[in-house]
Amino acid sequence: MQSFVDFERLEIGDPLPPLTKPPITKVQLVRYAGASGDFNPIHTDDEAARRAGLKGVIAHGLLVMGFVGEAVAAWAPRRCLKRLGVRFSGMTFPGDIITVGAKVEAKERVESGLKIVCGVSAADQDGGIKLSGHFELLIPHSRA
Amino acid sequence: MRIMADRGKVGLRLPPITLKVEGVKIKELVEAIGDPNPIYRDREAAIAHGYRDTPCPPTFGTLAMQEFCGGYFRAFEALGISLSKVLHGEEEYEYLGEIYPGDVLTCSMTVDSIAEKQTKTGLMDLVTLRTVFTNQEGREVLRARSLIIERK
Repeated sequence: MQSFVDFERLEIGDPLPPLTKPPITKVQLVRYAGASGDFNPIHTDDEAARRAGLKGVIAHGLLVMGFVGEAVAAWAPRRCLKRLGVRFSGMTFPGDIITVGAKVEAKERVESGLKIVCGVSAADQDGGIKLSGHFELLIPHSRA
Repeated sequence: MRIMADRGKVGLRLPPITLKVEGVKIKELVEAIGDPNPIYRDREAAIAHGYRDTPCPPTFGTLAMQEFCGGYFRAFEALGISLSKVLHGEEEYEYLGEIYPGDVLTCSMTVDSIAEKQTKTGLMDLVTLRTVFTNQEGREVLRARSLIIERK
């Protein structure tokens, strides 16, 4: 079984264990294009990317957001995730090594459990922020 | 001639899209992301974690928006936006219910707002699209908000 973060013990400002992904590859962008259906050629064709004024192909923003989704569902059960929103702030290129980090920003006991709001961001190996945003969890009371 | 989003399109509802949720598409998406979580690909593991079947990952909603079922590209066409000038500014999902293989989702996209913004790099149009995902039982299971930026 997976072991999740114990949000009961976390305080506001506490970080969650970061997730570092392997370097993004061009093949991964092709796979993501096929999997998501986003065939905008700026993600898969260097020529097309250059015609659009870029230095080469860039990763789909939703792929980096997918890394955030991976991290969140490692921190808490998938079904506890109620909201996830991000703002894309930087382009991600093949070779970039993305780390997803988060901090607890709010913690509130509600009738159905523990509501947690975290700030989250994804940055590359040089600390360049690719996206930042928030997610909200609702962790039901344990039946123990 | 400069291409720009047509402000008269605010409030436009695009024809709904039907999306049948396939386990293989869920698997393809998490494989591309490189997410090793077993709940998305192994039904037994998902059941052991309390799910009815393999749930969809948090960014699954993007499938509905994309080219294979026409969503974004159709929206851009309807708005007169050139694809090579488009950037994805923001994306937000609100999870209202669980989505499993075999579900049939009706996805309805609305053009919520169009605003012009002056930035350091020039003039931009900000287009907000909202999508509501309703399952075969008529239950809203997912809401998405996408902010699309068109460089002019």
